[in-house]
Amino acid sequence: MNTTVQETKKANKLAATKPGGKLVNEYWEMVFRAKEEGKLVCWYEGSAINPFFQAADVVWVHGEAYSAMLAARHLEGPAQKAAEERGYLKELCSYARTHLGCAVSNQRQQNEPDSGYVNMADDKNLATRLPAPDFIVSAYAYCSTGQQWDEMTTRLFGKKIPIFNVSLPWIWGAKPDAGYLRGQEWEETSQYVAKQLRDMVKFIEQQTKRQFDWDRLRELMGHVKRASELRLEGMELCTARPAPATFFDWIAAIAPINNLPIGPHLVDFFQGMKDEIALRVAKGEGAIPNEKYRLYFDGIMNWNKVGWLAEKFAKYDAAVMCGRYTHFAFWQEPGLIDLKDPILGMAQNYLICPNNHSAPILIDETMKLCKKYDVDGMVIHASRTCRAFTNPQYMIAEAATKRLGIPTTMFEGDVTDESFYKDELLNSRVEAMLEAIDAKRMGGGSPSMVSDMSFLNRQAAESAPVTFHRG
Amino acid sequence: MKNYVMGIDFGSTTAKTVILDVKGRIVASCVGNMGAVSDDGVKASVKGALEQAGLTQEDIGRTVSTGYGRRMLEIADKNYTEITCHARGAVAMMPDARLVIDIGGQDSKVISVDSNGLVAQFAMNDRCAAGTGKFLEVLARAMQIELKDMGEIALQAKQKLKISSMCATFAETEVISLLAEGNDKPDVLGAVHTAIASRTVGLVSRVGKRGPVVMTGGVAKNVAAVKHIEELLGMPIHLPPDPQIAGALGAALLALDDFRAMNKLPDFAEDDSIDDAMNVARACGTGCKGSPTAGSSNPSWWSRLTKKNAAESNTAPESVK
Repeated sequence: MNTTVQETKKANKLAATKPGGKLVNEYWEMVFRAKEEGKLVCWYEGSAINPFFQAADVVWVHGEAYSAMLAARHLEGPAQKAAEERGYLKELCSYARTHLGCAVSNQRQQNEPDSGYVNMADDKNLATRLPAPDFIVSAYAYCSTGQQWDEMTTRLFGKKIPIFNVSLPWIWGAKPDAGYLRGQEWEETSQYVAKQLRDMVKFIEQQTKRQFDWDRLRELMGHVKRASELRLEGMELCTARPAPATFFDWIAAIAPINNLPIGPHLVDFFQGMKDEIALRVAKGEGAIPNEKYRLYFDGIMNWNKVGWLAEKFAKYDAAVMCGRYTHFAFWQEPGLIDLKDPILGMAQNYLICPNNHSAPILIDETMKLCKKYDVDGMVIHASRTCRAFTNPQYMIAEAATKRLGIPTTMFEGDVTDESFYKDELLNSRVEAMLEAIDAKRMGGGSPSMVSDMSFLNRQAAESAPVTFHRG
Repeated sequence: MKNYVMGIDFGSTTAKTVILDVKGRIVASCVGNMGAVSDDGVKASVKGALEQAGLTQEDIGRTVSTGYGRRMLEIADKNYTEITCHARGAVAMMPDARLVIDIGGQDSKVISVDSNGLVAQFAMNDRCAAGTGKFLEVLARAMQIELKDMGEIALQAKQKLKISSMCATFAETEVISLLAEGNDKPDVLGAVHTAIASRTVGLVSRVGKRGPVVMTGGVAKNVAAVKHIEELLGMPIHLPPDPQIAGALGAALLALDDFRAMNKLPDFAEDDSIDDAMNVARACGTGCKGSPTAGSSNPSWWSRLTKKNAAESNTAPESVK
């Protein structure tokens, strides 16, 4: 990057996301208290099926959310170490490895009072504090690791934990009428998943030994629907220049929309975000002090590096406008939800997990998003242990170059394992892309040229061996 | 007014310095080995280049740095990434180039470029040095041969062996196994170079294959690496006289851009004496009438320019006299 002075430029993060931290802490404290309060605990991954658990008064533990929380607080080490000691390789999805490490730690704490853990106060607590599950529901779109992860969890708990599987089929999009949210395949698959959700409710009733509260589910989904509408309205406002909020603000808002307890406070949270965004648009205030570039971020988040990445892009004067992780997931289609009978709409929202579409549909939607936010370039995070997210990334990059004419760059990192991430590799790749954008904007001009290479010729002729080729 | 600009490529294995005068003549270039982690190598490279040109740092009007150590150089006025600099330097040495393959000490990159040397798209190796100069260094040590001899020995391969490991460290293990099984060094080295070519061509496919192709970086001096990449790519590869200094040359040209802008120098005028060669080259450098993947079957622009310059090689720039 043609930097002459290292300036300190801070990201202008939304204040409205700050209450999210308190909500997250309150939720996990609720989880930690569950057994004391005589509540049943369900572990799950992937799809946001927590409304069902909340309606049934079951405490829910979302595995990725816990792993992400540990990584964001740089406390993932002990859990990951426990998992590796148990035999889970570093190449395994680090979400899974972290969560399984918590399961291992829980079992060790139950069975081995003298586990050998010393001097790791908070770290030890968080890795061991998850209450053991009373049952597991596996409802993971696309990612086979997710389903196997749940299976492995039952083994870690001695194969005594009942598990229910919701199969969320891949949307092939191969039929002539196929497209985003349309087509015969879409309709049939939606019904298939909806039926399984009703079966899941029966499973929950068996575990809780009480009738499921459908009214409560409808009430909760009313809040979810409104919250997600506000979230999308806020995202819509972010097409403004300068961008009032960035991808990293939406990352900070994932927990509330994805797995935190549902209630009017959720609506308030997203209303707050939307209001602050609208105010910034009215004032012309940007999330990046000196916005020069607008970028699209493909890939899952490096949870160990969230804040750090937000500041890095701010330093580059780059507004990361949107990304697959935030803009294609998490109740992204609230309009599908019929509050009188929310099951089908919920099933459909689970199916549109961003990894669950065939590449043509995913690429089309990605290109639309890039055009909508008028991006100048694309940064792709290839998560080392998340094949699900990385699978289509080369194709997305190619489409961005061919269809939109924008440069792309890719860096390797990971979801929650910091060891797969190298700062300088990201720096040089992002800087190179921004230099290319700058050069394109300048239109080439009249660049300096070499007028005389005779010095090099003499030097080449004098040094041996010379490997001229086709001179 | 100062009459020179400098470009420095502070790499992981070597440091390269190029000095241009304000008319764009190369007046010095120097490559220094980095050795241990310090800036001694780059200081030696800069000193060497200044001595070659008979200059001091005070004569330099603008300095641009590149490479992993680009931010560490106090003498640099600006820094750019290697991608930008290699693209610029490669096209400066071969104006018709549309694809640059650079394999350095620890990284490899493929860059598609336009006629001004501007980057259109690029791809780099991931967090692994397999297929780079470091890979060859490790294997040279394992096979107890000189790094500089690897290419020539590999060209003598008669048998096609395979190195299947994607990791530089495990490839070393594989090499040792192949030698222990009684395979000849040339054959094993042939397999090593095929592995390098395979990784490189993988990067090309991410960027998109187009020609003409120019190769830069230290590994471009390895005849076997070039040959294997050519074969796998199915396109000829063109080499500048000193492929290793492309990054530093690009940095120097960027320094010259700044210098001209700051001192309001007129637009760069091509040297009339080489107009003919350059015009002919631009007209038919690819010999393909527009096909982006056709290789250059004509004698290169470089060849005509170097022959012309060789005839005039006793003429030193005025400011150095």
